Amino acid sequence: MVPIKLIWRNLLRHKLRVLLTAGSLTVAFFLLCVLQALVVSLDQGVKNASKKRLVVQSAVSLFVNLPASYQAKIEAIEGVEETMKMTWFGAYFREPANMFAQFAVDADRMDRIYPNIDLVAGSWEEFRASRMSCLVGQDTANKYGWSVGDRVPLVGMIYPRSDGTEWQFDIAGIYDAGREASIDDQTMYFHWEYLDEALEAGATGGPDGIGVYSVLLSEGFAQAGVGADIDSLFENGPQRVQSTPEGEFNAQFVSMLGNVPFFVGTIGMGVLIAILLATLNTMLMSGREQTRDVGILKALGFDGSAAFWLLLSQAFLLCGVGAGTGILFALGVEGPLRDTLGTSFPGFDINQEVTIPAVTVAVAVALFAGLAPALRARRLTVIEALREEV
Amino acid sequence: MKESQHGVELQRVSRRYTRGGEGVNVFDDVDLTIKAGAFCALMGPSGSGKSTLLNLVGGLDRPDSGDVIVGDTWLSELSESALAEWRAENVGFVFQGFNLVPVLTAFENVELPLLLTGLSKAERREHAMHALELVDMGDRAKHRPGQLSGGQEQRVAIARAIASDPGVILADEPTGDLDFESACQVLDLMGRLHTELGKTILMVTHDPRAAERAERIIHLDKGRIDETQVEAQATGAGAADDGFREVRPKGNEGS
Repeated sequence: MVPIKLIWRNLLRHKLRVLLTAGSLTVAFFLLCVLQALVVSLDQGVKNASKKRLVVQSAVSLFVNLPASYQAKIEAIEGVEETMKMTWFGAYFREPANMFAQFAVDADRMDRIYPNIDLVAGSWEEFRASRMSCLVGQDTANKYGWSVGDRVPLVGMIYPRSDGTEWQFDIAGIYDAGREASIDDQTMYFHWEYLDEALEAGATGGPDGIGVYSVLLSEGFAQAGVGADIDSLFENGPQRVQSTPEGEFNAQFVSMLGNVPFFVGTIGMGVLIAILLATLNTMLMSGREQTRDVGILKALGFDGSAAFWLLLSQAFLLCGVGAGTGILFALGVEGPLRDTLGTSFPGFDINQEVTIPAVTVAVAVALFAGLAPALRARRLTVIEALREEV
Repeated sequence: MKESQHGVELQRVSRRYTRGGEGVNVFDDVDLTIKAGAFCALMGPSGSGKSTLLNLVGGLDRPDSGDVIVGDTWLSELSESALAEWRAENVGFVFQGFNLVPVLTAFENVELPLLLTGLSKAERREHAMHALELVDMGDRAKHRPGQLSGGQEQRVAIARAIASDPGVILADEPTGDLDFESACQVLDLMGRLHTELGKTILMVTHDPRAAERAERIIHLDKGRIDETQVEAQATGAGAADDGFREVRPKGNEGS
């Protein structure tokens, strides 16, 4: 039994050194949390994707549209419950910097394809009622101060209006993606017919057709089987298709960013090694300075385990305070960081997937830094400890 | 506080060290008996084995052969952890360099050995303060070692040595780092521990005046023991009514 005040006061023997080490730990663990949250946010859409949905795209490229006539043919395949058109719109609000995702979709089918979307304002009925209606994710609505009933002007880049005017959309609902992992809270969805009519009327330029079809499977059907049937149906058609499970489809977008997880992981590993060595250095110095104390304790009758815990506890305290502050700081600035990262990392969240690994790493750092001086303290005899010049 | 029941006996003790690649015999087949309650001074040139003898008696070191018996405990039969436990209950150390923990106050230093006794916090406080008052350091309880003079530090160290009422006090040159006045105060205290508390005291010293305070002087040289009996200072090991209270740890009455 080592008195807590002895552990604490020995740790604070050199306040500046401990402060600097704890500060380094704070910065390092803040960075680790943020980097881990970035990786988790990238993986989230892949990991939590629905097993009941397929995405059908052109076999040539995601940027080649499919004929609208394919929808009925796909729905006729056994195992397909429902389909929905999805076409990337590519527009911005006032300034090109205000870019966010928009999709033209089958408005009357969306709630069946994505049943877990929660409308926090407005209603599906209002969305379906008017061709100019749209749904907006709550993050984007909050960012621009939009609410239900607002008319939002967007400048089309893929579909620029022929008369040079802006597209007009009426907000009929604001959604929270909730458990729908493939959807973020920054996107806008509007009626495909609104876009199609403009194309047919020559009111806008841009490509015809459908970007992708989102396909909901019937109960008891597997993605692989139905996907193969869809692909084979259009094997000799005007456009070959590629059916992909939703998770794999989402993974394509992650891979488009390059090997971000590896890059981020490498930075994180560098930060970790640096802080590991800094903490080890601090603890080795502390251990050496406390050699005489260890000798005194042992002479008084404290055993080797007391000396061991005297040093190891200090490592845990140091890492606990430093890493804890870093993790708390990351939690504290989570909101502003999410706003800053915007649509680049949708779903950025300092959650348990981030904090639990961070705490685990903190424990590992404490063990790594504290074990060497603690084992030395346990091994030292009283005579060795009291003779050693510090 | 109790009169010591701890006599010390060395039976055919040998201890050999390796220094600079060469073996050095510190003790070779040495026998020594010190009766319970005796105050012995250990003298001799550097390297003669004075500190080694203290370390052997205090259970900080083990002989290569032979036995060290303190009271009725054969130290060679104890494991390291049992030896640490025995030390906590039976031995108080006073070092030349004081060896107080610098980050703890005088009170907290004295309380340290009591943490191993099972006493309650209030009891520990009472005993630690009592020990500090015995060495006239009660008013410095909240001071850290760095805020005390050498003599005051050594008095705190003595308070720590007696706080748990051990039977044996081992002092390794307790006046070595002190000025004359402080040294006298410390030696007076050692004398009181012997005369009033009846502790068995082994004190290493180079100072003949310090040694004269003891009732028995043991000279060590090249692993051999020679003795001088000092008549004048010996007042017997019996403890008079001393105003010192029993602070022996719980469950330790028989040791």
